[in-house]
Amino acid sequence: MQSANMLLRRIVRSAVLPFAAQQGMKKDLFPHSRTLSLALCLKQDKSCEPSEKLDLDEWKKVMKSGLQEEVSGAVSEAKELSSLAAARETLEMWRLAGRAVPENISEEQLKAFMECPSKSAKKKYLKYLHLKELHKKNDKRKMDEKRERRLEAQDQASKTDETKKRSFICLWSSTMDKAYNWRAAQSMIFGQPLVFDMSYEKEMSVREVANTVRQIVQSESCNRRSVDPFHIHFCNFKEDSLYHREFIKNYREAWDKLLITVTDQCYTEIFPKDKLIYLTADSPKVMKTFDHDKIYIVGSMVDKSIKTGLSLARAKRLGLETAALPLEKYLLWSSGAKNLSLDQMMHILLTLKDTADWKKALEFVPKRKYCGFVNTPVKEMKKTLDVSNTLKLGKGREEVEKRFARNYPKTYKVK
Amino acid sequence: VQPPEKPLQAEEWNKLREDFQSPEVFEEVMLNSMIRCNSPIDVAKSLLTHVAKRDGDIAYNVLVKYLTLCVQQGQVSEIHDVYDIMKGRFRILESGAYNLLTKGFSNSNQWRMALTVLEEVKKVMIPSRTCYESCIKAASRHQEMKLGFELYNEMLAKDVVPTLDVLQSFFDFSRGVKGAELQKELFGILLYLRENQIYPHRTFMRSIKLWFESLPGGNWRGRLTKIKDGGQCPVCNHQLEDSNLTEEEYSNLSERIIRDVIHGTDTFRKTSPKEFEAFQTFVESRLPFDIVIDGLNVSHIKSRKMQCENLFDAVNYLAKDNARLLVLGRKHMLMNTSNWKPETMKKMQNKADFFFAENISEDDAFLLYATLRSGKHCRFVTRDFLRDHKACLSDSLTRHLFRKWQRGHQIALKKCFPSVFSQQPAFRYDCVVQTTGDTWHIPYKDVFEEKYSYRVPGKWLCIQQKS
Repeated sequence: MQSANMLLRRIVRSAVLPFAAQQGMKKDLFPHSRTLSLALCLKQDKSCEPSEKLDLDEWKKVMKSGLQEEVSGAVSEAKELSSLAAARETLEMWRLAGRAVPENISEEQLKAFMECPSKSAKKKYLKYLHLKELHKKNDKRKMDEKRERRLEAQDQASKTDETKKRSFICLWSSTMDKAYNWRAAQSMIFGQPLVFDMSYEKEMSVREVANTVRQIVQSESCNRRSVDPFHIHFCNFKEDSLYHREFIKNYREAWDKLLITVTDQCYTEIFPKDKLIYLTADSPKVMKTFDHDKIYIVGSMVDKSIKTGLSLARAKRLGLETAALPLEKYLLWSSGAKNLSLDQMMHILLTLKDTADWKKALEFVPKRKYCGFVNTPVKEMKKTLDVSNTLKLGKGREEVEKRFARNYPKTYKVK
Repeated sequence: VQPPEKPLQAEEWNKLREDFQSPEVFEEVMLNSMIRCNSPIDVAKSLLTHVAKRDGDIAYNVLVKYLTLCVQQGQVSEIHDVYDIMKGRFRILESGAYNLLTKGFSNSNQWRMALTVLEEVKKVMIPSRTCYESCIKAASRHQEMKLGFELYNEMLAKDVVPTLDVLQSFFDFSRGVKGAELQKELFGILLYLRENQIYPHRTFMRSIKLWFESLPGGNWRGRLTKIKDGGQCPVCNHQLEDSNLTEEEYSNLSERIIRDVIHGTDTFRKTSPKEFEAFQTFVESRLPFDIVIDGLNVSHIKSRKMQCENLFDAVNYLAKDNARLLVLGRKHMLMNTSNWKPETMKKMQNKADFFFAENISEDDAFLLYATLRSGKHCRFVTRDFLRDHKACLSDSLTRHLFRKWQRGHQIALKKCFPSVFSQQPAFRYDCVVQTTGDTWHIPYKDVFEEKYSYRVPGKWLCIQQKS
């Protein structure tokens, strides 16, 4: 497209008025161009007597003149479009129309786009690709700027030519890695197990699996960096599953060197049942304290659509004890789902393990989801809740009540 | 920005553009505001000319904006020119432009061009409903009813849902036109409303009424009325279809409820296989019930009273006519707490059968199962709308069946003055477009918006044929 535009511009600039000569030919090509010929007459008038009069249809001529060149090229190209090419072309048109569409799209992505079941699914997917592209571009720009700055700094450093004396060789990251790995290795022998249940692949879309793996990678890294890491187990892990492929995408060669236990066995086969506790937001039981002798299980799942009770059902099936974080007890919840991301879970569990301080641990719940910590005894909870509601809505209490009444009418009929 | 009133020279546009904060989008913003103010088309043209002279090209989105303005003002020849330019420049267009083109052409005397555009759209994508809508409306406006219906059927075949507007236009433009074929097609639309449980709004209803009354030699007469609880039409004394499902529908629905709602993807999500089995044997041994009560839901009717007393009142009231009752609850109701007194529970258990599910199980699923298993006469009591259960059903046909069954079998308890229960009679007739051949009964909504999916209109159009 870009090059075509350039070409056009050149044509228009170089040949200002070859239109008249082509006029006859054009008429045959475009039977509807009444206004066009009218405009040409106008133009000729103008050349006879120069005036301030504007030729309003001149843009059409410009547009059509470019066309001349393009038509001859484009038509011969390919009459029939393959469905893939047609989709590509549609995308290009959407982009021109100013919709959120990526500039470049790979064959694979294009196929995924065509397989989207509905219009809105297509739109969402394109928007996702578009945003991804934008992020990538921004990152690249920032990297380039940084590099430039660094080169500049180096230049200056070399000019001043100043050598520093250090007592250590600068090997921070690899030294740290060694230290971390040492700890992780220790945890594999002596550490408290923490299980990630990898049996939710069927319940998730491809993107959800990718998000899950990303969250687990983050959890693993923060576990490795902690003072006393868990011994992480991936249970129910199938070779060549989507999970596996995503992990390899994230870790590359490091996947085989990770200091964690990966198994296709179920946690019930590895650990005694009475020691297992399945953590799920749907659990009716609320966790009171962190138990160092228990083995906690976290479901490796991201559910963008609401799949309530999925992990609870799994625990019920296996007859395991379940628990939910005491979010209500410690936080004034404002909005958002009670299920947290896997890395947040990891942060919370690590903090609990080290400090047993709920307040400190629950700092890792995203701030947007709660308005504050509860300090008051349970009796006064209700009052605080009312106050917080009034504060949140910025309205009088009656207004809040009225709202409530509207949302939950006491009497309703089924007609 | 305020668009200028007269066409401007290039220099003047340049100046305006330089004064604007973000010159890259100046043309777009300017055209947008022209569309909003419905500015004269010459002003827009002068802007385009300026752009064309400057860049040697006009961006697609700017062209579309200009096209919007032309369509808004019905400038047919301009639409034509823009179409030619676009077609020459781009191999295909996107749906926005196609919508505008069909709309623009369909409102003019060149409405057949809209059909040409539609054909073109079909080559690259499934046309949007707006595209079809414009073409169908244009065809019926010009009395080409056959063509209109062809497009309409094509649309349905492609799963493009027509707007009520399109359906209405068929009735509007067929008024007074004779033809057995046409009549059949329009009856087909009414049956479409029936099958999809769509209720026409007031103006649409009026179009239907006028069409019937305009049929030459038909002697159709339409009257507006309200149907009473008994389901008899006050105008023609015709008894409306009753709300019972057919045997086939009924067994279909029960099967689907067990499969999709109770078991779903995992039986453990709502109950457990062991519990469900226990419930099944319990129900089978005591069948059939007349009324199944959602104990926990009913116990929350009055917040001031103790929960078990609320339930006690309801059970007492419903047990009056020797009805066989089943109350569903959860195990925690058996604990001696401030809300649940064992003595009251004992008294109730003499009057009704009770089943207590696990505290983490969902009792609604059991409610549905017990009611369906008891047979068609059995009804259930809950204030819950059961929307989440309806949503578990996978196809719309079963969901409609569910709604219909629910209307006919759900009793809602109304909270009135102290300790008085008033019982809402469940619907005895089916609220849907229906016909007997020489009568039509069509429920309609007063307002266009459908606010609640469970609420059905009480107003009806009664049409009869006088012989």
